[in-house]
Amino acid sequence: MNNKPIACATLTALALVASAPGDAAERQINVPNLIMERCSICHADDLGRLVRISAQRKTPEGWLMTVVRMQQQHDLGLSDDERRALVKYLADTQGLAPAETEGARYVLERRLNTVENFSSEQFTQMCARCHSGARVALQRRTATEWERLVNFHLSQFPTLEYQALGRDRDWFGIATNEIVPYLAKNFAYGDEQWQKWKQTPRAPVAGEWSLSGHLPGRGDFNAVMSVSQRANDHYALELRGNYADGGALIGQGAAVVYTGYEWRGKVEINGVEMRQVFALKGDILEGRMFVADHDEVGADVLAARQDGGASRVLAVQPSYLKTGTATELSIIGSNFDGELVLPAGIKVEKLLSRTPGRIVIRALADKRALGTHQVKVGAAEGGELAVFDKLDRIEVVPPYAIARVGGNGGPAPKVDARFEALAWAKGPRGEYRVGYVPAKWSVAPFNEDAKRDRDVEFAGSIDAKTGVFTPSFAGPNPLRHLMTNNAGNLAVIAEISAGGKPLTAQGQLIVTVQRWNNPPIP
Amino acid sequence: MKPRTATLLCAALLAAAPVHAEHASPAELANNTAAPLVAGREYMVLANHPNNLSVIDLADNTVLKTCALPDAYGPGLLQISPDHRQAWLLNNRFGSIYGVELDSCNVIFSANMSLAADERTKSVLSLAISPDGKEIYTVQNPSRIYVDRYEVQQPRLAVYDTASGLDAKPVRTFPMPRQLSVMQTGADGTLYVAGPDVYKVDVKTGKYEVAMPILNWNRPGYGAPDVLNAWPVQTITREFAFLYTAPKFKDDKQDIASADFVWGIMSIDLRTGAVSVADFAPLTEVYFTGIRSPKNPNHLFTVLNVLRKYDIKEQKLLASADVGHAYYQASVNHDGSRVYLSGTLHDIAVFDAETLEKITTIPLPGGDQATNTAQVFIR
Repeated sequence: MNNKPIACATLTALALVASAPGDAAERQINVPNLIMERCSICHADDLGRLVRISAQRKTPEGWLMTVVRMQQQHDLGLSDDERRALVKYLADTQGLAPAETEGARYVLERRLNTVENFSSEQFTQMCARCHSGARVALQRRTATEWERLVNFHLSQFPTLEYQALGRDRDWFGIATNEIVPYLAKNFAYGDEQWQKWKQTPRAPVAGEWSLSGHLPGRGDFNAVMSVSQRANDHYALELRGNYADGGALIGQGAAVVYTGYEWRGKVEINGVEMRQVFALKGDILEGRMFVADHDEVGADVLAARQDGGASRVLAVQPSYLKTGTATELSIIGSNFDGELVLPAGIKVEKLLSRTPGRIVIRALADKRALGTHQVKVGAAEGGELAVFDKLDRIEVVPPYAIARVGGNGGPAPKVDARFEALAWAKGPRGEYRVGYVPAKWSVAPFNEDAKRDRDVEFAGSIDAKTGVFTPSFAGPNPLRHLMTNNAGNLAVIAEISAGGKPLTAQGQLIVTVQRWNNPPIP
Repeated sequence: MKPRTATLLCAALLAAAPVHAEHASPAELANNTAAPLVAGREYMVLANHPNNLSVIDLADNTVLKTCALPDAYGPGLLQISPDHRQAWLLNNRFGSIYGVELDSCNVIFSANMSLAADERTKSVLSLAISPDGKEIYTVQNPSRIYVDRYEVQQPRLAVYDTASGLDAKPVRTFPMPRQLSVMQTGADGTLYVAGPDVYKVDVKTGKYEVAMPILNWNRPGYGAPDVLNAWPVQTITREFAFLYTAPKFKDDKQDIASADFVWGIMSIDLRTGAVSVADFAPLTEVYFTGIRSPKNPNHLFTVLNVLRKYDIKEQKLLASADVGHAYYQASVNHDGSRVYLSGTLHDIAVFDAETLEKITTIPLPGGDQATNTAQVFIR
């Protein structure tokens, strides 16, 4: 057993899920005993009751950060198995109810291009100027605990009150007298939702899941995920499916369900280690699956349980039909039972295959079907299918993204940016979303400064076909003005041809320096 | 205004990724540590990574000697004693103060900012020396470490006797307000400490009052200024100077959206205590420091990504120079003929103060300087 404090590893390298079947030891650990033995040395009051720990609730990643900080900075000795068991126990017994994570899951899912927007400017400046506001919103504490967190911050980071947006105000006074009450009110420990959630019956997990997803830079995919229980809340996974481009999607791994709904998976797909951060909502799993050491490469995932779950339509891939062009469509769902019913104006030219989770057809649409529709299979209805004859405009998604220089002998890898062109059409009832379409990609200087500093030349390059931007190397570049890094401010331009007419759209890409501090919740 | 400046400053700081040149070997350092400084000659002293203190002879722009400093680097903030024989440094990750004999490289003083075992204390860029060289001053920001929590404590002014030797303890402490940083002493011994405003402190009693308002300047027609001062330069002009940026309103409506943003310099005359405030340019780029020419104090040199020379009264740009890479601090020599740029990376750039033509670059043994403070003096 390795009981030494862990070194300052990149925290994202600390998986919440052990490689199967390495979690057997983890499940043998008596965590209440472990807490009494290791945690209560510092965190017990005179009567032996736990303090601090007992006045906070947070996500698995939140507890992981706390426990790892205890290891790194306070010499807490824990083996990897003990750490995982402890985090699991804390997330299960002092976690957040699903509703308490709503609106902030993007940070758990590591959607790091999210631009946050909070109603309180003061909260934004006091808290979210150094880390995500979601990191705060994913915690529940008593007022005393929030106050101790403020004292922790200034004690650990004494220059906080000297930095821009710190030195222009009485930072500590405002933090103590205004922010603490604000947090205690908006993110109160109060456990009504939590008690309710604890009494909610847990959804079954084992069995087959039908899974649909979309990976920017590659496209749609679907798969069957077979889940088998190894122990309470611990599962083995197997995935078998296909990308829309014809490539196979084959993988296996393990998952742990924290807090009754926080699904954390670690799977190797086609030889690449990926993480799953899903929320379990009855017979639905929803979230993001991303490359473990390149979290910018990730897919939105929606899955439904086949065994015992409802009959559902999850997605139509691709999500659009052009009138007059016969197109192969996959309808992804679960427990399909009954007839496939398409809207008037869409004809099934041929049924290509059908399983309980996937129907593949060749479809042809005419003008009667223009607009967006849901698809029915028996009693199930869902997905989104757009029919268009002419695209009206496209937009670049995301409209604003960050890429980071990396490599060049340094410890931080490059962080790509991935863009897609989202097409829209016009109908009698207004504009409607068609879906992601292939585009020709290029970059240009975003402004005069970028032009003068030749950012296009230095900052990296975009793949004209996939929309994947790969940044340049890290470190000062002697060829650049002021020897600056290969940073840049670029316009990202998508172009398509719509009926012989070019349509273009522009997004913005900031290529910047490495993220040196990359915790599980940024 | 604030977010704009903040973004620019962050970008600039991040741009200064530590790049380490070949470090001088301990043997090389040992060879020259005993080289004495010569009376009447002009020197620059500064610190850099990994933990060096270098003395530069400004007559021939060469490194006279490099001392190895104890403990850890950061921020390398440095003050020169009034007799020009010692360098006093805030270092060891803002946690300790050292006194170093420049002739011998010997460490003659050290003090840990934490005064108790259950305390973690940092001094944020706060160090000054009395006019007689007998006392040094720092504002310490302590936190008490309990077994399971931290508690932020009130900052304190700590006064040390410079003759206390190693592991020194303060001879007096006084409670102080928060957010205090750079400081200088006036000719009469008054301690001027910068924070939200600049305070004058009686070092015998700890009593303080506002000497020069910054955030609370209430200047008609202007919004609150922003000041970033991490460089307590012991100026030849004997002033404690701060560059500011501030919104200048178009009219009484004080509309921030239509305001012009300006650069200015505010300063306290350390001989008299007199305060002066003057705008000198529109805010079009970021500077970290600015320093007046001793030859013509109406001339101001500013630097970050470009070196500029301004006429303050006329608010006129006189000259500019490309600088090759960012530098944080501009210094001048006593006759006002040269400008020296330091901070970041591991060199000092020398410019002609009249024309801003580049004269030379002085490579430093060691690595990145980060936010050190260079001082110029005549031994």
